[in-house]
Amino acid sequence: MEPINPLIDIESRRMELRGVVQLAGEVIAQYWPMRTFVHHNPLHSLEYLPFEETARRGKQFMGGHSYLPGTLYREYLKTGRIEAAHLDAALKPLVQDQSVTIGSRRIPHGDVLRACLTDGLCAPATEPLDDQLHDPAQAVIDVVAASLSSEWGFPDLLKRIHLIVEGDQAALGRWLTLSHWCDDTFGTQIVQQINHELIKWCEAFLDEGHATWPMPGREKGLYHAWKDLAAQEWSPCGIADSRRKIAQLPDYPEDALLRSLDTLGIPSNLRQDYLSLQLTALPGWAGFIKWRAEERDYPWQKAYPVGLVKFLAIRLWYASELVQKTCREELGIEGRYDAVVAYMRQHPDEYYLRRQRVAGRLPALYAEEVDRLRHHKGNGWGRVIERYGTDVVPRQEIAARRSAAKRLVALARSLELDPAVLAETPHATLKQLFDWMESFPESDHGPVWLKALEAAYQQRLLAQLRTAPPQRIVPPDQPGTSRPYSQSVYCIDVRSEPFRRHLESTGPHETYGFAGFFAAFIRYRAWGKEHDTEQFPVIMRAKNEVREIPRSYLDHKVSKHKSRTKWVHAGHTLLHDLKENVVTPYVMVESLGWFYGLPIFGKTLLPSLYQRWTSWLRRLFVPAIATTLTVDKMAPAETAEMLAAEHHAIVRKVLHEHGGLRSSRITPALVEALRQHALNGQTELEPALVEPAQLAGLSTDTLRLLVDILRRQYDLTARAASRQKERITRTGFTVEEQTLTVDTALRMMGLTDNLARLVLICAHGSTSENNPYESALDCGACGGNAGNPNARVLAMMANNQKVRERLAKNKLVIPSDTHFLAGQVDTTTDEVQLFDLEDVPPTHRADLARLQEDLKEASTLTSQERCTRFPEVEQPLDEGAAESHVRKRSVDWSQVRPEWGLSSNTAFVIGRRELTKGLNLDGRVFLQSYDAAQDPSGRLLEVLLTGPQVVAQWINMEHYFSAVDNDVYGSGSKIYHNVVGRIGIMSGPWSDLRLGLARQTVMNGDVPYHEPMRLLSIVEAPRERIDKLIERHEILRHYYHNEWVHLVALDPDDQVWYRYRPTGEWVRIDGAL
Amino acid sequence: MIDATLIPWILAGVPLLGAALSPALWTHPHRLMAWSVGVCAVSLACVVGFAGFLTTPPEGLLLLFLLPLTAGVSLLGQPHHRDHRASWVLTLIFLSLGLGALTSQPVIGKLFLMVIHGFVIVLLYRHHTPLWPISWWGLGAYTLGALCLLLTLVAAPPLSSMAALLACTILLPLVPFHDGHLTALTRLPGNLPSFMVLLFPALGLHSLAPLAATLPEPVVWTMSFLALAGTVYGAIKALAQSRVRLLLAYSSLSFFSMLWWCVVTTRSATPRAALFVGAVGLVMCGLLVAWQIIRTRYGDDVDPQAISGLASTMPQYAVLLSLLALAAMGLPPFGVFAGFMGLLLSSTAAFSAGIVVLVCAWLAASWYILALVQGLLFGARRTDLRHADLLQTELVSLIILVLTLLALGVVPISLFGPDRTTLPASANSQPAGIDSGSLVWNR
Repeated sequence: MEPINPLIDIESRRMELRGVVQLAGEVIAQYWPMRTFVHHNPLHSLEYLPFEETARRGKQFMGGHSYLPGTLYREYLKTGRIEAAHLDAALKPLVQDQSVTIGSRRIPHGDVLRACLTDGLCAPATEPLDDQLHDPAQAVIDVVAASLSSEWGFPDLLKRIHLIVEGDQAALGRWLTLSHWCDDTFGTQIVQQINHELIKWCEAFLDEGHATWPMPGREKGLYHAWKDLAAQEWSPCGIADSRRKIAQLPDYPEDALLRSLDTLGIPSNLRQDYLSLQLTALPGWAGFIKWRAEERDYPWQKAYPVGLVKFLAIRLWYASELVQKTCREELGIEGRYDAVVAYMRQHPDEYYLRRQRVAGRLPALYAEEVDRLRHHKGNGWGRVIERYGTDVVPRQEIAARRSAAKRLVALARSLELDPAVLAETPHATLKQLFDWMESFPESDHGPVWLKALEAAYQQRLLAQLRTAPPQRIVPPDQPGTSRPYSQSVYCIDVRSEPFRRHLESTGPHETYGFAGFFAAFIRYRAWGKEHDTEQFPVIMRAKNEVREIPRSYLDHKVSKHKSRTKWVHAGHTLLHDLKENVVTPYVMVESLGWFYGLPIFGKTLLPSLYQRWTSWLRRLFVPAIATTLTVDKMAPAETAEMLAAEHHAIVRKVLHEHGGLRSSRITPALVEALRQHALNGQTELEPALVEPAQLAGLSTDTLRLLVDILRRQYDLTARAASRQKERITRTGFTVEEQTLTVDTALRMMGLTDNLARLVLICAHGSTSENNPYESALDCGACGGNAGNPNARVLAMMANNQKVRERLAKNKLVIPSDTHFLAGQVDTTTDEVQLFDLEDVPPTHRADLARLQEDLKEASTLTSQERCTRFPEVEQPLDEGAAESHVRKRSVDWSQVRPEWGLSSNTAFVIGRRELTKGLNLDGRVFLQSYDAAQDPSGRLLEVLLTGPQVVAQWINMEHYFSAVDNDVYGSGSKIYHNVVGRIGIMSGPWSDLRLGLARQTVMNGDVPYHEPMRLLSIVEAPRERIDKLIERHEILRHYYHNEWVHLVALDPDDQVWYRYRPTGEWVRIDGAL
Repeated sequence: MIDATLIPWILAGVPLLGAALSPALWTHPHRLMAWSVGVCAVSLACVVGFAGFLTTPPEGLLLLFLLPLTAGVSLLGQPHHRDHRASWVLTLIFLSLGLGALTSQPVIGKLFLMVIHGFVIVLLYRHHTPLWPISWWGLGAYTLGALCLLLTLVAAPPLSSMAALLACTILLPLVPFHDGHLTALTRLPGNLPSFMVLLFPALGLHSLAPLAATLPEPVVWTMSFLALAGTVYGAIKALAQSRVRLLLAYSSLSFFSMLWWCVVTTRSATPRAALFVGAVGLVMCGLLVAWQIIRTRYGDDVDPQAISGLASTMPQYAVLLSLLALAAMGLPPFGVFAGFMGLLLSSTAAFSAGIVVLVCAWLAASWYILALVQGLLFGARRTDLRHADLLQTELVSLIILVLTLLALGVVPISLFGPDRTTLPASANSQPAGIDSGSLVWNR
């Protein structure tokens, strides 16, 4: 037999472990940095499971609830938001065909379940042992409790202990870590200690320029950086001899993780779950690490690599050390899985008492006795449990019977029975009633309530959509022609719906909905910025880059603009450095501190005025400059010229700064010769370079030095030039690409004929102050950025004559008098800004003026409508007041709800605008324009269902989970938010990276503002076409079959509405759902 | 005019009569409770009415006023449950005996005290549990106290003086004779602990007042040392407690030890001392009532660690408990602050190690009382527990306590008796009792 190579064996173990970690990471969602906030489902990785099963997993791993508390659903029932009929329908699958008779009345099983739901009779309640609060129904309760005693089988203490031990043994490793077990058994705080350590290290390591003093050694990766620094700490978490132990850890994080797992003795079949539990202890930080590890081109990841294996290696080291320490000190056993299991089996009484003590379920005297035994390592556990059995258990039994009797009395009241009748009811009947209640605990109510809530909303929405068009308020056509004043395209976002509705109400304007990136996948760099933004959905990739550049006729102003911008930037940097320096703040507070009083008072007392004043000041110092975009791709010669120009600028700078030459002595020949020499990589100086250099007075040594600087410091090499060239060639689109983009966009939205003289491509962005979530208000389809670059790109492409010619060949004729215009609506102020107005033909001035006027009116009406949603606005505001109010909110730095438009989203309509035109959808519906007649192959529908629908579902689920359990899936109150590492926020100074949306975003006080419901997709398309797509795409099957998304179709063939069932069949919708 | 010698008997007779008549209402707990509270109110009125006819003791009359008030609020804080009827009647009996002991002549007063001890011993014996073996020490302490009281009646000085001082250390707890205090506050049934926490120290101070001026130097040194040790010991033990009544018992031990130190070093028990005893007793009574409100809802022997997040579910309770905690931490404008400051300012030692110890113990009290309140009011709210905010009687009880504590903090001390610390220095330089006291201790 051939001997096994140990190195190969180790490597295969590492690979296996990496696979296990990857699977373990499924339970946590990726976390994008805050600056590109991406709405997503926090349980996205589990969408392959049915919704209800995922809810259970979420509870198991994250401890999160997936449904609202029963009290809130009951409130919905009281207010009519949930209708009784829908509740009965949702309850129907659970109802058994049984009944009991109480007095003269027959009580069916369904009535009991319904009472449980509507009156909250099954909420978990702990009955105190010796309750002394007076209850008016005490006499009946006593009688019923006594009556139950004959039927009541209170479990024996030993049996209960046995069950608890069995349960905990089964849970250990699966949904209970050893650290958690120690905390529950000994009252330690191991999980919290480990979390604190990990937060500390993650916060320092993952920082992206926020910290004044960055963590040293980050380039080695998280694991090694931690090893280097943690080895210098003095006994972290009380771990003895930690320096030596950390120093002795293996070089590979995989090996360290394996060693910790071995030390803890976690069986191989439990390791995946065990690691999942470890990750879900800090889902925020782990989620961000997961995202970064998958983004290999992310600059911070390239510089400071991090991954889940490294994270877990550190976490498990702390866990194994602390578990070992605790188990040895408390029980004198090894902190291993098998030893812990053996302890539970061999000392069930002791284990039971310890657990009860920590959970606060022991009477105080017993708690003290347990503490005494624990500290003195006494052997009196048996004696205590014996006394507990004779003293406490009978009282528990009485309390449990009393609790049951109270619930039965409450049931009788709910069923409008006289509770006294229970006293005469047979014991067996009472027991039967109680068993029915017991078998329907509050934890099972969520799915029923959710279905009823959804059904009520869906019925109302579908009834609205089925309203006959004559009953709607639809504006008339333009007099004398069927051509509209304008057509405008908005993002599918729910915030566009009110604006579109109001714009349409001002005159014959047509509106369309399309994903806000407008089919333009671009990486964009704004003028004067140093970083690109990715203007496309995060699930996609871009090939083309677009830059914003000053318009050519403004060349003379560019240098002035640049220099002033530089001054402003330098001022900001100086202030920042003074604030962050170790010494200067002491002086700065005294000397400049008062100066900060102005912005503080201005922003607090007069936010609108202050904002106007600072904007004016900014414009005065650095006036805005008209720009355009590099939409067209450059020819090879142009590319070379542009590259050369960039290089020349660098060479001139080096000659000036390092060579000491004045501008007048720097000749073009010298610059070009120096550039060529730096690029070709030769060591010997060529005569073509030496000659102009001598003329300029440069020695050969200086020349060599300058060449070296150019190569080393400015990377002026052939390889770098090639890279730059490649980058420049990515800039812009070819005519073919532009044609394809415009063709796809127009056909997909159904804008192919009867084009107006003005077509507005309207993106959206937002304005807010002191808001770490500002990118969450921007366009999700544009990667959490404002969408104006995409709108400008599409408008420029559509105005390109060459593109129009090619489109015409594809039978998509754009009239010659149609001009595409780019704009952006600010969703916090509802104002629309139009771009590139220089390019509007003079013939369209009147059209433009009319459009601007109508946009202004639509904007005001939208503000008015939005103001009615804000809780602090009690009276409807007039136009001026509404405008002023929303503007003030957008600049108010204490405002926690600058916009509040995206919450309350519920449905996604893919269809013609005729389906929704004239309907007030309350800003709750995503609207995607789609004309099935234009898409016989279903290709466009395929894109819509797998693209925009996914984005809508992510937004919907983000809101859903943030609303149902804001502490776990949301990010808690904004009041406590602190930005950390420029990547996210923490609650207070020390917490997990908070997932999801803030409490103020989804809640209005204690009541959800966002009614949590799963997305309803309504598609106007033939069912066969949809079926084919569902069959083709797994993600669609997951959505519809696992009940993540509800699907309803309006079949254009027979004009009938159908609902898609999770079983894969279509059911005709006639009346009620 | 009423004969002054009758007044103590009237004061003791009113609650005793109330107790004697209470069996008529035995089957109606609500009425019995109302009756008992009414008797306390009448007692308070009698005390106020007859105060002018009584000889003012060195510590003033404040404690006399506070006794019926405390008895009443401790009763109001109880649930109307039949299990507590006996404790209500006993409250009246103890009130009667306490008023008798405070107002009668020394010999009769001692007899009253002996009866009180007897009752407590019987009660502690009845409520003894094997899980709380330390209660034997408590029983022993009160038995010793009763014996000491007997000795004061039958023995001659200095034995009688020694016995009297020892009896004081049991009533106004001092290490190492504090077990009686601990046991009474943790084992007595119903509302009795919340009444006893004022009754015993009040009786102790009343007994100590005539002795204070007569203490010889070695006794002063010994008692000072014990007082400081008790202050530290009580604070440390309170810090380590997880059970509320025990925490309050140790906390009150620490506070009363502070008083001991001040009284023995100044050799006087002034109305300022009475203010301190009254304020500490009242605040402890308030906290015990507040804890009783929790026990009413979640069972007699509920583990405090099992209760949290009450701030959102029981807001009235949360506000009043917070105010009581502020008072217990010795913050102005409550009585504990006024009493503590009064003691420190009247202390002969401008700055000494003793004062440092006292201040440290005071700071420690802020720590453990805040931790207790924080644990109950904040943290995760348990959804499986039923939450019911204060009943009307409970609300009234806590409001009276808070207002009384507030009043004690702002009312001039001279209202309750002449403050000897304000007398001219010449009058105070040679305490009158020194000579006679020396004689008493040396005879």
